[in-house]
Amino acid sequence: MVSHHAQSLAVDVQVSSTTRRSVWPRFLTSEHPFPWLAPITALLLAFGVYPLLYALWLSFFKRNPITRMNVFNPTWNWGKLLADERVWGAIGHTYLYTITALLIELCLGLAIALLLDSDRKGYGSLRALMTLPLVVPPAVTGMMFLLMLDGSFGVLSMGLVSLGLWPPQYPILASSGSALAGILLADIWQWTPFMVLIMLAGLRALPKEPFEAAAIDGATPSQAFFRLTLPMLSRIIALAVLIRGVDLFRIYDYVKVMTDSGPGTATETLTSYAGTIYFKNADFPYASTISLFTLLLVIVTSSIFIKLFKVRF
Amino acid sequence: MSFKKFDQQTFIVDTANAYTNRQISKREFLRKMGLAGVGFSAFSLGMLGNPRGLRRGSMLGTEAFADGLPDNQAKWLKEVGSKFKGAKIRYSTESTPPSVVLNQIKKEFTDPTGIEVEVEIVPLEQVLAKATQDVQGQLGSYDLYYLDQSWISMFQPDCVDPVAYYKDKPELAMPDFDWDDFSKPLVKNVAQVEGQWMGIPFDIPIFTLMYRKDILEKHKIAVPTTYEDFLAAARQISEAEKGNGVFGTGLQAKSGHYSLECDWSQAVWGHGGSIFNKNKKFSGNDEQGIAGLKWYQELLKVSPPNSTASTWDGQFEMMHSGQVALVQSWDEFFPGLDADDSKVKGLWEPAKPLTAKKLRSPSDAGFNEQPNLGHQGGSCISLSKYSKNKEAAWIFMQWGCCKEIMTRCTLLGGFAPMRNSSFADPRVKAKAKVGPGTTRHLETVKWVIDNAMATEPHMALWAGLSTNEIPTELGKLLTGQAYGGDPQKCMDALAKDIDAKVKDAGLL
Repeated sequence: MVSHHAQSLAVDVQVSSTTRRSVWPRFLTSEHPFPWLAPITALLLAFGVYPLLYALWLSFFKRNPITRMNVFNPTWNWGKLLADERVWGAIGHTYLYTITALLIELCLGLAIALLLDSDRKGYGSLRALMTLPLVVPPAVTGMMFLLMLDGSFGVLSMGLVSLGLWPPQYPILASSGSALAGILLADIWQWTPFMVLIMLAGLRALPKEPFEAAAIDGATPSQAFFRLTLPMLSRIIALAVLIRGVDLFRIYDYVKVMTDSGPGTATETLTSYAGTIYFKNADFPYASTISLFTLLLVIVTSSIFIKLFKVRF
Repeated sequence: MSFKKFDQQTFIVDTANAYTNRQISKREFLRKMGLAGVGFSAFSLGMLGNPRGLRRGSMLGTEAFADGLPDNQAKWLKEVGSKFKGAKIRYSTESTPPSVVLNQIKKEFTDPTGIEVEVEIVPLEQVLAKATQDVQGQLGSYDLYYLDQSWISMFQPDCVDPVAYYKDKPELAMPDFDWDDFSKPLVKNVAQVEGQWMGIPFDIPIFTLMYRKDILEKHKIAVPTTYEDFLAAARQISEAEKGNGVFGTGLQAKSGHYSLECDWSQAVWGHGGSIFNKNKKFSGNDEQGIAGLKWYQELLKVSPPNSTASTWDGQFEMMHSGQVALVQSWDEFFPGLDADDSKVKGLWEPAKPLTAKKLRSPSDAGFNEQPNLGHQGGSCISLSKYSKNKEAAWIFMQWGCCKEIMTRCTLLGGFAPMRNSSFADPRVKAKAKVGPGTTRHLETVKWVIDNAMATEPHMALWAGLSTNEIPTELGKLLTGQAYGGDPQKCMDALAKDIDAKVKDAGLL
């Protein structure tokens, strides 16, 4: 039906052969997809593929800090990476951060979505309010939480201390045991609404009939949730987890702003370590190698996830 | 003359418009503003990003604002500078007081010359990254480089020798620039590498002792002069003032940050050690180095817990809010402590830095390291060899570093100048009293510069080592993430790592 309509439109547009030849370049009247895809393809090549290839090329060089020359040595950076303890620590932090944040954001997002899934008055405004954290730049969110969790003056820290819930001698962001939790707090505040939005969209798209049938059969709300809602939402959940997971794996802003990978290396992730090597040590080839390694991990992890949970796009 | 409110406001608006339209001079504008009861008072440099120690409450001094360049220099600026009208020069800098002030008053350069100046004020590591990328590709994206003393040797091949350039280009030379007026120790330690001029000294934060006289008097504690005294006093104050939320000292011990390396290196020097020995091996793990680190670990026990998450900003905040009583750190904090918004205005006093039992001789240290009592974090401004607007940038550089502008920068912010004449300037001396932008600490600062300035190693790897490896491992130790509190283990691990890197770079 749609294609027929499109055809009729195409037929309706009368372009004389003269116009075709003299006024418009030929590709503007072509129905072949390539000309239309060319601009975006060029952009992707320029800002996606070229940097990737350049990073790959750089990773085969060893940087000499004295002469600032990159000398061809294809195994140097990869060997260094495998022997670098900080890389393995960063992998651990990255996975810990990603899995913890995902679980919390998913559970919270689904719970809030279930609460907001109503047509009663005021719920629309609540749903709109929920999206507000999403529009704040992550670096600003990081700065907000850095101030709120400051061990000397932070309102959150002081609140927890005054309620006796936190020992004052261990500031959240200055203690290796709790700094990652502080960063997670910022991430959860900012990105749970994203999960809420996706879950809400999924919930609103569910057919009503199975739920009506379940109610007639005497199913309790929890039975309806576990036997109907969750199974029917599973694809949406898997997709949301995949998108958010890839995003979490690349975390940089919060770590940079709130702890700069510290205390020690307690919050160092792969991307923040790459940033440290790039900005502080000016070892561009090694930083590129770490970035490429991160990309490989993302591809492998997400592929396993897609296979395991049969994610369909 | 008295005005009704409305008339007064109209008068102010008209005067301001007249000045904007250049119908009246600055002096006339200020005179009229004075008649209208408008003073040019505090502006907060702390609002301008991330300066070392949020220099709040600096004064926009009216006399400084009213003064201009001497006639011959003003004439030179107009005649020589305007030859490059339309040129656009760029440089990126850390948010240091002179950089911020120069950015504030750059209109006084751009108006007579027509040269545009674009200043990027970014965090220190980004300044390094941008400059490194620029020299890497010899791009000339930046006409001037802001070079911190810790990375200056990295850029040895990339900078124009300013003294030679001044002689080689007499047609561009600012009259009465007076190279001999620059403080000799600053030139040697901040602007030269192996005797070669790399730039012009631009900024000199340096360690001095600062103490709360009211708290010391309250507990009958003498101003500490040694490292042992300092620790004892800090312990005593912490114990006595625990109930008031006041700690003996506060540190800039954020792991992975250059500030921690600065604190640590001063502790090592103060205990007779050095970062490298004469064989160019890391020596933080020798007896003196370990003694310094142990002392620092003890200090941490009498500091606010947030010290391990604090850089110089956090340390200043501890002082500014009345949370700590004794600090050995950057002199640049001092003007802000006397600001109107300070809870401890007039209560802090400057003193000479702590004395060491025995300093290690520079000849026993490596890579031109100078162990001493006052850690300096100075910087110079350098002309890029790859600049596409070298002449225009050179004009700006001379203007920014001439006597009058440097003195003005000091008057605006209360921080240490580079020139001896600025220290001696009567306007600077007149501000040596409690108040925003005070200069009452500068006598001490000058003594430290002239007699006790310590300098970090000058080597190409130092930028990375001082901002990554050293403060990261120290952070692991201080926060209990690794080494079980054992400084020897931490320093041995660092020595192994650093020596391997130095060897790999071909520096051993």
